Amino acid sequence: MSDRRSASSATSKSPASRPDEGPTAARQASAISLLRRFWSFARPHRRWLLSGLALIPIVAGMSTLRPLLVKHAVDVDIPGGDALGLRLTAMAFLGAVIAEFLCQATQMYALQRAGYSTIYDVRRTVFAHVLRLPNRFFDNHAMGSLLTRTTTDVEALSETMSFGVFTILSDIVIIGSILVAMFVLSPKLALISFTVAPVLFFLVRYVGAALRRLQLEVRKAQAGQTGFLAEQLAGVTVVQLFGREDDARNQYARLGSRYLRATKRANWLDALLYALMDGISAFSIALLLYFAAPEVAVENGAISLGLLFAFVDYLQRVFGPIKEFSGKLATIQRAAASLERIYGLLDEPAEDRAEPDARDPLARWKGGLHVRDLQFRYKDDGPDVLRGISFDVAPGEVVAVVGRTGSGKSSLGRVITRFYDGYRGSVGLTGHGEAGTKAVELRDVPPEQLRRHVLMVQQDVFLFNDDVGFNVSLGEAGLAGDDERLLRALRVVQAEGVVQARGGLSFSVGERGDNLSAGEAQLLAFARVAAREPTLLILDEATANVDSLTEQKVQAAIEQLLQGRSVLVIAHRLSTVRRADRILVLSEGRVAEQGTHEELMANKGLYAELYEMGFGEGEGEDKDKDEKDEADRE
Amino acid sequence: MNSVFRFLYRYARQNIPQYALGGVMLFATNYVVVRIPAIIGEALNVLEIGGSQALHDSQNLAIELVILGLTVMVVRTLSRVLFFNPGRDIEYRLGVDIFGHLLSLQRPFYMRHKVGELTSIASNDTQAVRLLVGFAGLQVCNVLVAIPLHLYQMWATDPVLTLWCLAPVTLGALYMRWTVRRFFGMIRESMQLLARLSDRVLETYTGIGTVRAHAAEQAALDRFEERNGEYLRLQLRVTAIRAFGMPILGVSGMVAAGIVLWVGGQRVLDGLMPVGNLATFTALLLSLVGILMALAWVLAAISRGIVSLGRIEKVVDTPADLPPVEEAVTLADPPRLSLRNLTFTYADGDEPALYDVSADVAPGTTLGIFGKTGSGKTTLINLLARVQTPPPGSVFVDECDVTSVDLGVLREATAVVPQSPFLFSTTLRENLRLAEADPWADRATQDDDDARLREVLAAACLEEDVRQLPDGLATVVGERGVMLSGGQRQRASLARALYRMRPLLLLDDVLSAVDQGTEARLVEAIRNLRGGTLTNESPTTVIVSHRTSVLEHADEILVLDHGRVVERGTHAQLVARGGLYAETHLHQGSESEGGEPS
Repeated sequence: MSDRRSASSATSKSPASRPDEGPTAARQASAISLLRRFWSFARPHRRWLLSGLALIPIVAGMSTLRPLLVKHAVDVDIPGGDALGLRLTAMAFLGAVIAEFLCQATQMYALQRAGYSTIYDVRRTVFAHVLRLPNRFFDNHAMGSLLTRTTTDVEALSETMSFGVFTILSDIVIIGSILVAMFVLSPKLALISFTVAPVLFFLVRYVGAALRRLQLEVRKAQAGQTGFLAEQLAGVTVVQLFGREDDARNQYARLGSRYLRATKRANWLDALLYALMDGISAFSIALLLYFAAPEVAVENGAISLGLLFAFVDYLQRVFGPIKEFSGKLATIQRAAASLERIYGLLDEPAEDRAEPDARDPLARWKGGLHVRDLQFRYKDDGPDVLRGISFDVAPGEVVAVVGRTGSGKSSLGRVITRFYDGYRGSVGLTGHGEAGTKAVELRDVPPEQLRRHVLMVQQDVFLFNDDVGFNVSLGEAGLAGDDERLLRALRVVQAEGVVQARGGLSFSVGERGDNLSAGEAQLLAFARVAAREPTLLILDEATANVDSLTEQKVQAAIEQLLQGRSVLVIAHRLSTVRRADRILVLSEGRVAEQGTHEELMANKGLYAELYEMGFGEGEGEDKDKDEKDEADRE
Repeated sequence: MNSVFRFLYRYARQNIPQYALGGVMLFATNYVVVRIPAIIGEALNVLEIGGSQALHDSQNLAIELVILGLTVMVVRTLSRVLFFNPGRDIEYRLGVDIFGHLLSLQRPFYMRHKVGELTSIASNDTQAVRLLVGFAGLQVCNVLVAIPLHLYQMWATDPVLTLWCLAPVTLGALYMRWTVRRFFGMIRESMQLLARLSDRVLETYTGIGTVRAHAAEQAALDRFEERNGEYLRLQLRVTAIRAFGMPILGVSGMVAAGIVLWVGGQRVLDGLMPVGNLATFTALLLSLVGILMALAWVLAAISRGIVSLGRIEKVVDTPADLPPVEEAVTLADPPRLSLRNLTFTYADGDEPALYDVSADVAPGTTLGIFGKTGSGKTTLINLLARVQTPPPGSVFVDECDVTSVDLGVLREATAVVPQSPFLFSTTLRENLRLAEADPWADRATQDDDDARLREVLAAACLEEDVRQLPDGLATVVGERGVMLSGGQRQRASLARALYRMRPLLLLDDVLSAVDQGTEARLVEAIRNLRGGTLTNESPTTVIVSHRTSVLEHADEILVLDHGRVVERGTHAQLVARGGLYAETHLHQGSESEGGEPS
């Protein structure tokens, strides 16, 4: 499979992976549509979201109120010698502090909870969608990038949800309420204090923009260095065999010094930005004192001392959040890019699914197949792999398919299970109870309903890192937890003894089945079939070499599976071929011959030739050689 | 612990002057930072008194404030840069040293460690160390300077009020320390949960065919949900701590500010201190709280940094496992190769991978190795290439035991094509010219007229493939470029070795993924190396394959089965004998007669 992917990935680098380019206006429009779509995920959690948002103004109000209480103490209580009043004011102050803390904590919790719950839903949606993507999609996309969409991109989104968006919102509201308070208290003093604001604005903007550019460069340099490192270590033997250690080290140092230069410059700007805030706040207070002094110093001036107290407090707090803004905006932009990639994936068309309570069209199917002029190709511009195949399978019949690599026999199984859609010709599923019932056309049966009746067992057995029970039941309702049925299935394929010896159904098979031998893994895969009892079994016989003892068991298990159902077996064993009721010999996507073993041998055609070779395919490493050839041909 | 600091000192030594200057700047910064509230308070005090003198004084104080503001901008910038930039230098030096050392470690080391783990040490752990020597260094020094200065200024302003305020702030700081520790515990756990989640995603995506064939999507989703759910639950716990636990120190500062208003206000009423001190005090308090908050984070950064340093030290101190070389050997061109009763067992293996293998390969001849998967073919090649170290006295080149031959000399004389071809994410041309000096350097223009390159492309049957690539030889291949097919990768890997062309050529099943027509041409090309144009002398060649057609021309063929030589002889002899080799030959031979559809 990997090779087919490789050939096409040259041309089909997914458009979603392209960084966001294009005019700003378009990007803003897309930002709005991104958000609108995101809302559909956030909607179910809107209670937390809205209650969090509702608390923001209260938090802002409380934090603006505190300096006013100080002002009251300085202007009213202390000059009036009112000890009781002072105590009341101080108590009110403490009350405001506690209230602010509680509101803020609740607000933060509510918003982050909404954020994380939304992300949880996004992650599930992405995962569930990938499960439903057609096989063709997997041929064209590397596993790594799919994994990135489901984890890394979602995680980037999560970080922004929890830190970026909401803190910016509450910062803005707090700054806004402080500004309002200052202008209400004394527009003149407010204006005086903010004469430095334009300077600040430009400095922050300028330094911030430069810093962002540098940070982009830092990230790029870092990614370059880490990527180089990972690759060199993966290929370290080649580097060593070619004696290129010194060059690799030098290159790493070069990449590292690019990163070093960028980070050092970023450090300067970052430190400057940080220090600017300290300085600016001192300047604005100095301005305040200088220009307010004449009015305070004069008896009964327009400005009270308490007002200065309040302003000093406000000015110490109002500049703080500004320096974080640009950084937070940058994380939001990154999250938007992640979101776009996630949507790109979600927009990939998925396989059809049946209506939730749809009638099973195959409920009474007995497993007959009526294939006429079946043609199929993997890619629209690719060559046909199946070029007009016609054959029948009667209910309960065992049909062996043989042919060289590239003859199309594996593709036949993939079409009949709807792993790949888009065949031409007709595949009728015939034999529904009483004679005369109409055939159901394959393409009209939703894949998941089809696969409850048609089961394909592939050569390479995939085992989940879970126990034997799960690996046989695969979580199917009615099967999972029914130990009796699972054990019976294992017994049918003669694997019960092995499993019991290892500790029963709860024996963990390990990562990718490491705790089992190849033959044992085969048997588990067969047990899946035995437990499900499909109407039609498509068996891609493994050629992998297992030890002779297991080999006997595998043979016996296959023999069991062939009984009582229709079977299409892509055969590699002579015994299997002989056992078949009929043999279909494929060549270059066509049926070259068909008949029983004896008939075909008498024919002295392709079958006889294949028989001489033992139906093998080398060491079985080129399991997908037919597609590979195709890819090479292009 | 001590060794960790010695290790750190080794890397930080060069930057001591910067750190010293940074320390001075830090002191200056903190001095100014505590002066600013004092001056504000003073100004408020004189304004309260009123009168023209007060006006004059307060305006002077305002000017002083401006000067202090300017000063703090300069000294704070410098203090941060002087601490942070050496941290970057150290990160850089550490990273290069780690990578350099990793390059000197051989296969046995890489069998014990995953690439991901090593990458993480070279990048994440060096970052943790950088935070330790940069951010943490700054904060520790800052705390040492700032806390006494703040306390001094507060005490100088009003001792009674200082004592009142310290109580809630100290409690807050202790709570914060505890919370941060718990928080980091949870963060570690959440990273593990995220990794578990990713594992499950990867597992499901890898087994998607099985999931689909059995219509087991719902079960796959349920399994995913287990992990997704446990991750969410932990995130919500982290959120609760972040929302309700983390702000406590800040709140304790605000509570102390309330106390300042209450107690301090009373003291002003009682005439024990001027009203402006209230402002001074509150500002100092908030600044102190900020420093204490940083302290709590810093303690965490320090412990993580030390753990990381330990991990780094372990890698850097892993011996390169290269035997000392007594005599400098020069190898003949081409060399003689001998195996004498070679038995080899992997460090983690129970049974020998190779058992009692002997062979003599005369200069310029070809030894073929035939066997099935798992028969020990690749192990043999790896021992010859010294990717794995054979036991002494079993593998000889030119009568010298390979374990005592300088690895550089040996590899300089050898061209190896490993079984799984590895291409780097660079242009195809640079991949092929890997043997050249500095293959990864940026080279703006490169001539396609390299005659040798063209010859090699032809020999490896790559010309047609190169023509089809979007940018020909300049196409970026590998992980981050155009993915080549298995056969193309193998041929590129072969071309790379041919370009290098050394007197000893080791080919490990390099034609397994090419079709039979191409195989025949490649075998021909390899055979033509004898006295061909790419080499002056024919190289001594060891060629491994599971296909008899590849081995036909070998001077001697060893048939391996489970690590033992079960048959040996020339192709003709082996076919005549009618053993395992002959059987396979018959089988494979009839296959090729049928002809491959193409």
